[in-house]
Amino acid sequence: MREEEVPKGLKNDIRVWLLIAAVVLSVVMIGPGYSAEEGLNTDLNYGLDLEGGSWIQIKLQGAVTQLDADISMLVTEIVESAIDAPIEIISVTGDEGEGYSNDGNTVTFTTSTYVSGLQMDLLGLGASDISFSDDTSSIVLSTNKQTLIMQYLSKALNTEVVPLFVGDGVEYEIRTAVSLEELQTLMVPVGGNVLTGSGGDVIFREGVRTETRDMTRDILSEKLNSLGLKDIPVRTVGEEYILIDFAGTDLTTAKEIVEKPGKFEIRMQTTGNESVHVLYGDSIEKVGIVTQMDGHWNTPFTLDEDGAFALQKIAIETGAIADPNSHLLYMYLDDNEVYGAPLSYSAASALDEHPIYSWQASTGADEDGKTQADQLQIHLRAGALPVNVVLMGSGQVDAALGDQFKRQVVLAGLFALLAVAVVVFRRYHQKEILLPMVGTSLCEVIIILGFAGAVNWQLDLPAIAGIIAAIGTGIDHLVIITDEVLYEGKLPSTKVYMERISKAFAIIFAAAATTTIAMSPLVVMGFGALRGFAITTIIGVLIGVLIARPVYGKVIKVVLDKAE
Amino acid sequence: MAAILTEYLDSFVRSCDDKKLIAIPLAVLVLSLLVSGFVFATTGAPVKLGMEFEGGTMIAFETQESAEALELAYSAHSIVDARKTGDRAILQFGPMDGESQSEIEKAITSKYSSVEIKQIGALYGKELQTQALIALCLSFIGMALVVFLIFRTAVPSLAVVLSAFSDIAIAIGFMNLVGIELSLGTVAALLMLIGYSVDSDILLTTRVLKRRGSPDENIGRAMHTGITMTTTTLAALVVMYIVSTFSYLVTSSVSQINLLSDIAIVLIFGLVADLMNTWLLNTGILRWHVRRSTPRRRRT
Repeated sequence: MREEEVPKGLKNDIRVWLLIAAVVLSVVMIGPGYSAEEGLNTDLNYGLDLEGGSWIQIKLQGAVTQLDADISMLVTEIVESAIDAPIEIISVTGDEGEGYSNDGNTVTFTTSTYVSGLQMDLLGLGASDISFSDDTSSIVLSTNKQTLIMQYLSKALNTEVVPLFVGDGVEYEIRTAVSLEELQTLMVPVGGNVLTGSGGDVIFREGVRTETRDMTRDILSEKLNSLGLKDIPVRTVGEEYILIDFAGTDLTTAKEIVEKPGKFEIRMQTTGNESVHVLYGDSIEKVGIVTQMDGHWNTPFTLDEDGAFALQKIAIETGAIADPNSHLLYMYLDDNEVYGAPLSYSAASALDEHPIYSWQASTGADEDGKTQADQLQIHLRAGALPVNVVLMGSGQVDAALGDQFKRQVVLAGLFALLAVAVVVFRRYHQKEILLPMVGTSLCEVIIILGFAGAVNWQLDLPAIAGIIAAIGTGIDHLVIITDEVLYEGKLPSTKVYMERISKAFAIIFAAAATTTIAMSPLVVMGFGALRGFAITTIIGVLIGVLIARPVYGKVIKVVLDKAE
Repeated sequence: MAAILTEYLDSFVRSCDDKKLIAIPLAVLVLSLLVSGFVFATTGAPVKLGMEFEGGTMIAFETQESAEALELAYSAHSIVDARKTGDRAILQFGPMDGESQSEIEKAITSKYSSVEIKQIGALYGKELQTQALIALCLSFIGMALVVFLIFRTAVPSLAVVLSAFSDIAIAIGFMNLVGIELSLGTVAALLMLIGYSVDSDILLTTRVLKRRGSPDENIGRAMHTGITMTTTTLAALVVMYIVSTFSYLVTSSVSQINLLSDIAIVLIFGLVADLMNTWLLNTGILRWHVRRSTPRRRRT
């Protein structure tokens, strides 16, 4: 910026060259350009509040906890509600401790009604052996505690519950909003409780596992990409938030994109209105383009291994392979049915032999069928969010307003610099001091912007406030250096000068350290808007203290020497 | 202006004894604490919480309609406030469910131009509150630690920390008096204040403790530098405040930039408080400390 004005004595100083290099590099990074259509433009990225767009912040609802319960009470609760008759537990074998056991448990119980193998299998508790004689069903169930707890909770809360073995215990991730009190109440009928840690506090936290959060983020990301919205950043904030920035999209559209479609599920009809879960949208690997075959519209899709096996298993268990027409396949989106049809006879018979990965959902021959196929394609592709989410915050700045903010900010910055220059000039009455001071400040701004360009930072209003803060302390520091150098009103000899400069820098470093420390909690805590503010302030202060201000100390001496 | 202020302050500091110097800012501090304490007792928070911490929806747009007409038009929804600056209307809604939220957004975006929307869920607002409070406390503790590390003596360090605390307390008291709400912007300003306020205190303390010469001389010189620092910053902030707040007086369709406006006004008052706290409170304590611990002949 001011390299051509650097006096000769400075040519051998490495710091001066460092500053020049930093400024030149920054200018390259900022990449100012001019085109007839766009006017003056740069490579800098602007935040939504300056560029126009909308943002949405969602919270993932869930809880992670460790639980214990009584095995016989669990079996009683689960089975009795399923068969609608009282049961009597005869025996429970195996380890009944809190932890995970490989061997599992064998529970023997009897009841006075007939229980079918299918009924037991649909409970998903494990393999069972049923004998029926003298009006009494005697059932031997091979199961384990974590499966029982999982099934009990997922039924009671109507959500997915995922057990995970951690150390010597089992951690349950409940994928819907549940409070500790609710959970404790829920555990009472099964003789259970929420476990307490070694410190005596209950092992329960709201939110989901990091892996689940990341999976949700990835599914959202994929959903946006598939809708042709490339480069929409989906970020995780803290453990339970996901933040999505929609550049150039208004909030209404953004919400529609995120909120619909939601949770996708395939179920298979068992009897009458009953159906059983087959798979969620995350088992759908690929969705093809809608095609017309034999006059019928089709949405092709591919299942992953888990999904293909799950579908085969359920088709066999429900009897769909033998009688497809009474065991329809249903697709649900947010618990609303979006598709329902029987398996084709060819598919049904093939499933008897092996799982099928590639499927086609046929919707009909007419125009309506095509529309439905198109819809289904989006629903399938959207994928399921594994957890319930709730909107925490949102916002929108439209592009015209963003543009106006940008202009206003530049105006504010220029006028502020001018005001500072006037105050400084009135104080020192020397343009030899004014020019290097304003020059140094400008260099600092350029380097901060260059840095932002280099790391592809989004400059938003808080970030700009951060730059202003950094520049503000910068001017303060330059005043300290100047006054220190001119301590007794006159420029001292080089030796004394060096002493004073180091004194000035002792003050400056101390001040910079306090500013940096004061801002760092915001960087770590990562709450939205103020994070950018804190980071820019810290980077600005560091750039100023390490690169720009030392050079000012040198330049001011040379310039004042010349003036005298 | 800075020169006159420095001269006046310098002679005032020289002529007053330490107790009197300390008493004035302490009285202001106590007053601000009383104001904030009163607000705390009546509302449960030391300063009125803005929408970002309370939860709710803010929608701003360009229109020729009057605030009253707009308030009436949206009275079916939980509208809290409707204001106009120039041609821009700002509607403030309380927390509402997702559906009516989307409904209003859709209605307004399709009808008006230059729309700005900000919505914060009540729960998230609560979380932001705690985070902001933690951040402010951590910042302050971190700053205090650094100050103690730098000076390694109790009284001067305490003086710096006390005047930084007083800056923040007075700024908050002022926010209460004038009716500025706590927003992300004002939290940022309070944090910035920690950084700015310590600058001049460190300058003063270093000059007085580590330079030869009488305390009064050193104080006078430090004041010369320190007041220049604060006035340059103040000049920049006043300009920033004017541009971000009053641009609509020039072109009526221009929007205020609330974030910058909030930051600027709180910092302006914080820095004015800082002038007093640094050059009366901190100076008084420091001069008392230096005179107490050095031989009498040093006295002028």
